[in-house]
Amino acid sequence: MHTSGPPHNGHSASELDLPVDEVTCQQFVELVTEYFEGALEPRTLSRVEEHLVMCDWCVTYVEQMQATIASLRELGEARSPEPPDAVLAALRARRAGGA
Amino acid sequence: MRHEPAIAPARMAVSDEQTVAALRAGDERAFRDLFARNYPMMKRVARTYVASEAVAEEIVQETWMAIVTGIDRFEGRSALGTWIFSILTNQARTHSARERRALPFSSVAPSDAEAPAVDPDRFQTGDDAWPGHWATPPRPWQKPERRLLSLEARDRLKAALAELPERQRVIVGLRDVDGHSAEEVCDLLGLSQENQRVLLHRGRSRLRAVLEEYLDAADV
Repeated sequence: MHTSGPPHNGHSASELDLPVDEVTCQQFVELVTEYFEGALEPRTLSRVEEHLVMCDWCVTYVEQMQATIASLRELGEARSPEPPDAVLAALRARRAGGA
Repeated sequence: MRHEPAIAPARMAVSDEQTVAALRAGDERAFRDLFARNYPMMKRVARTYVASEAVAEEIVQETWMAIVTGIDRFEGRSALGTWIFSILTNQARTHSARERRALPFSSVAPSDAEAPAVDPDRFQTGDDAWPGHWATPPRPWQKPERRLLSLEARDRLKAALAELPERQRVIVGLRDVDGHSAEEVCDLLGLSQENQRVLLHRGRSRLRAVLEEYLDAADV
């Protein structure tokens, strides 16, 4: 699954001041929103994409984040807010008044 | 005359004009569309100014009343959404002056930025073969038919959303539940893109973790 080793260039893998040679899973989960939002620097983006090619677990993580977002959207779509009667009455009064 | 769908941002102004003309004529369908599009955002924002749902609801009602009775005063110098939002925040400030201070949305408190997206214990450490890589990886979620989540899982998600720190809840609500764009949310709340992303990231990560915990337990 992980075909290349951990970073060995003296940088701490837990720091998010990328780039190190490779994005770790722990770093990836902190970059996923910037990845979705298209906000990653080109260099970091290519490392993230390389990581996803190698790491099925992080692909699963991406799918879970996407499912979470889609489920939140479903919560929104399930609503159908009704305008208050008083406001509808004011709107009808506009029409009646020919305003 | 043929009406083309308003898809490109450049057409937004035309769409605003049509909405305003319809509201001025008392067009109920156009009003209901505008209401459905904006109500969730308004309620969410109003709630950040005041401590109770009931008062937030009152603010939103007052705002809609002001929109309907004051639409003749809208001059189209700003987007309709911006105009609506400015009425909303004015109403909300009047109420919050009596209740509590509004949230400073332009800054991100440390508590919003601190928590990691995933429990550090789930990653390998310096003594392991691949430090920083998964030790306890996520497992793919089984989907129930048609829906992404079962009703019970949706209830769990709803409850977890309600329990998020307030600013994360507002941002996740506006972005993911209500479907507003990052640009809209930043404009409306006077928030930088970066701060918006931090809040969104923390909120979404927490909700994923809650769903994972629930779905893994249900799987066993």
